[in-house]
Amino acid sequence: MRIRLTLPNRLSLFPIVTSTCFLSAILIGLFSTWTQAFGYMPSIGSNHFSLEPWTRLFTHPGFVNSLKATLVSGIGATLLSLSITFLLFAVSYQTRFWRILDQTLAPLLAIPHAAFAIGFMFLVSPSGWIMRLFSPGVTGFDIPPDWNITGDAWGISLMLVLVLKEVPFLVLMSLGGLGRLDVRGSLAVGRSLGYHRVLVWVKIILPQLYPRIRLSLFAILAYSLSVVDIAQIIGPTVPPTLAVQVFRWFNDPDLVSRLLGASGATLILLLVVIAIAILYLLELIVQCFLKRQVTSGNRHFCVLFPNLLSKLFIIAMVGISLTAITVLLIWSFTWRWRFPDLFPGSWSLRFWSKGLMQVQDPIWNTVKTGITASLLGVFLVIGCLENELRLKRAGIHTNTPTMLWLTYLPLLIPQIAFLFGVQVTLAAFRLDGHWPSLVWSHLLFVIPYVFLSLGPIYRSYDQRMTDVALTLCGSPWRVFYRIKLLILLKPILFAFAIGFSVSVAQYLPTLFMGAGRFDTITTEAVNLASGSDRRIVAVYALCQLLTPLLIFLSALLIPRFVFRNRREMQG
Amino acid sequence: MLKLQAVQIIQNGEPLFHPLSIDIKAGEIASIMGTSGCGKSTLLSAISGNLADVFSLEGDIQLNDQSVLPLPMEKRRIGILFQDDLLFPHMSIAENLAFALPQALPKSERQEKIVEALKQAGLPGFEKRDPGTLSGGQRARVSLLRSLLAEPRALLLDEPFSKLDQELKDQIRTFVFDTVRRMNIPALLVSHDIRDCPEGQVINLANQEGQDVR
Repeated sequence: MRIRLTLPNRLSLFPIVTSTCFLSAILIGLFSTWTQAFGYMPSIGSNHFSLEPWTRLFTHPGFVNSLKATLVSGIGATLLSLSITFLLFAVSYQTRFWRILDQTLAPLLAIPHAAFAIGFMFLVSPSGWIMRLFSPGVTGFDIPPDWNITGDAWGISLMLVLVLKEVPFLVLMSLGGLGRLDVRGSLAVGRSLGYHRVLVWVKIILPQLYPRIRLSLFAILAYSLSVVDIAQIIGPTVPPTLAVQVFRWFNDPDLVSRLLGASGATLILLLVVIAIAILYLLELIVQCFLKRQVTSGNRHFCVLFPNLLSKLFIIAMVGISLTAITVLLIWSFTWRWRFPDLFPGSWSLRFWSKGLMQVQDPIWNTVKTGITASLLGVFLVIGCLENELRLKRAGIHTNTPTMLWLTYLPLLIPQIAFLFGVQVTLAAFRLDGHWPSLVWSHLLFVIPYVFLSLGPIYRSYDQRMTDVALTLCGSPWRVFYRIKLLILLKPILFAFAIGFSVSVAQYLPTLFMGAGRFDTITTEAVNLASGSDRRIVAVYALCQLLTPLLIFLSALLIPRFVFRNRREMQG
Repeated sequence: MLKLQAVQIIQNGEPLFHPLSIDIKAGEIASIMGTSGCGKSTLLSAISGNLADVFSLEGDIQLNDQSVLPLPMEKRRIGILFQDDLLFPHMSIAENLAFALPQALPKSERQEKIVEALKQAGLPGFEKRDPGTLSGGQRARVSLLRSLLAEPRALLLDEPFSKLDQELKDQIRTFVFDTVRRMNIPALLVSHDIRDCPEGQVINLANQEGQDVR
């Protein structure tokens, strides 16, 4: 008997293809990295297992300081981001002040990490804009002081950059998580029982919100502990964070260093696992403590301090982001700018014309890879969501917590802990340095974000629209693309733009899978950032910022144009 | 005593209803009738102190001869019962109730009060239960207990029976009214259904004539 796959059954291939796409890379990468971490790498003639890479790692000069900076910046950034996000919600949610955050959230998220870090560096470095503002008037400096502000040994600036970038993300994820909680109702009940609004948030709403953003928080933790690109720009230098050190070992011409790198990368993974376990433990402790607080009836509370803090942070976050971009813009048009002048002495378009000549190839690579990866990503995600719908209609229970963990998996495992392993494996088959491999590696990180952005809206589509259309036309395929896809055009394009911006921001995958053969605007900007001419760096950073921004703009404007005469499609 | 004196709610310069005056004595349950959208729920949020920014209030609301208008919602000590029971889904029944109790009570007494309240409501031994496993009627009773354990000085009832089916409605209605009378506090109920209202003052918000329907 011949089995023909009908359209609905073909859908079941999507989750298989998608999860294979993830899991294969992660499993291969982890396995390969782990074997190397224990000294096994036949391609360099090391074919016996040993603990030598580990002893070398732990006795490496600067290891302790690297570890210190990694833990301070990574764990500090995560805990700070969470506290600030909770503070913002508890104190400012839906107040007049919240509108500032509401309206700047999307643009804040759209700024690539690297471009933001470069702008931040131009702002706070000893010769940066802030120092110029107070020099020589307040500080008395005529030449930039010899201070270690960017690249401080503890990784504080790195932590700040991470916090400023992660808070908008966490706020966005929390807004999604609050969707199913009755915030207004809880506030009304809590206040009528005599609790201040902020106390209702702390005692009732936040404990319900936390489980809904837990995975996002873990993703932030994994990212912050293992970030390479912005740590290279603004992190400590001698010694750098562990991730940057590992990255250097991987790129060391001395091939034996790669074993050291592999053990370092595995250590980072271990740190992430331990940190996640500690967060779980903390959650239990806080829960216990809170339970006692909640049932104690304590209604005392001083609102002044948190109120001030929350407002200050919103102003600082929006303000710093805006000034960071402004200072990038100024530098890109500068000809001469002496310290401590507040503005350049003479301006020029020369670095834009020079920069634009240089960035053509990187930008073309970026756009080509980004568009392919996000198109593929949106295609696969829609297929998976359709399959989920098919199963739901058939009454088959799809295990959503498992699905969610699977979606998040590439975000929970540090890139550096497996990507090098993937590269080594690919190289063994001479598959690295090919463009499809590059797209595949980007896809790994594009898919989760596309899924997170499209999933909720796609699932809330009113299925009756399709049912009505089916009774009228009868062709499921035509109904799908003429009715459903068009109604969902806006969220689909938005998810595409998210996917694109994720692809643009990829640094390690581009370097590792591209085997150095593909320069994107991000790899170029990061590589130039330390030590190159500020004016040209500014041009690169702005190009990195503008590329996803243009795609975001089109994603907003296309549906508006297509449905310009449809009032219900505007919102 | 809860006193409304020429209360009006204004939206975009337009009052939602004519000036409303009513005195409600302790232990009395007054009712306000009106079609949906006539502003009766808005009136309750004004009394409780939860009026949205787009509205403004004229007139005065007094509780025990003191205006409550300068007080924020959480200081007014006016309980509300909504259509939805709004039990906190992540907390047990006892925790939901303990949240409402005043802090001044010592720990042993808190526990005692909860046990006692549940027993009186016909829900003995429900302390450890998950709100999600309770029936609609049981949830409604817990919700009322929670409002009352905070020792409010007045109680507002915002169509509290509209989501219950007929049989349950009668049972819960009797329970709510009896409990409020026993607490001896003024209560104000709004509804679009005259059958929900207890005996006593009934004001129709649409034409606002005090009428005795029974």
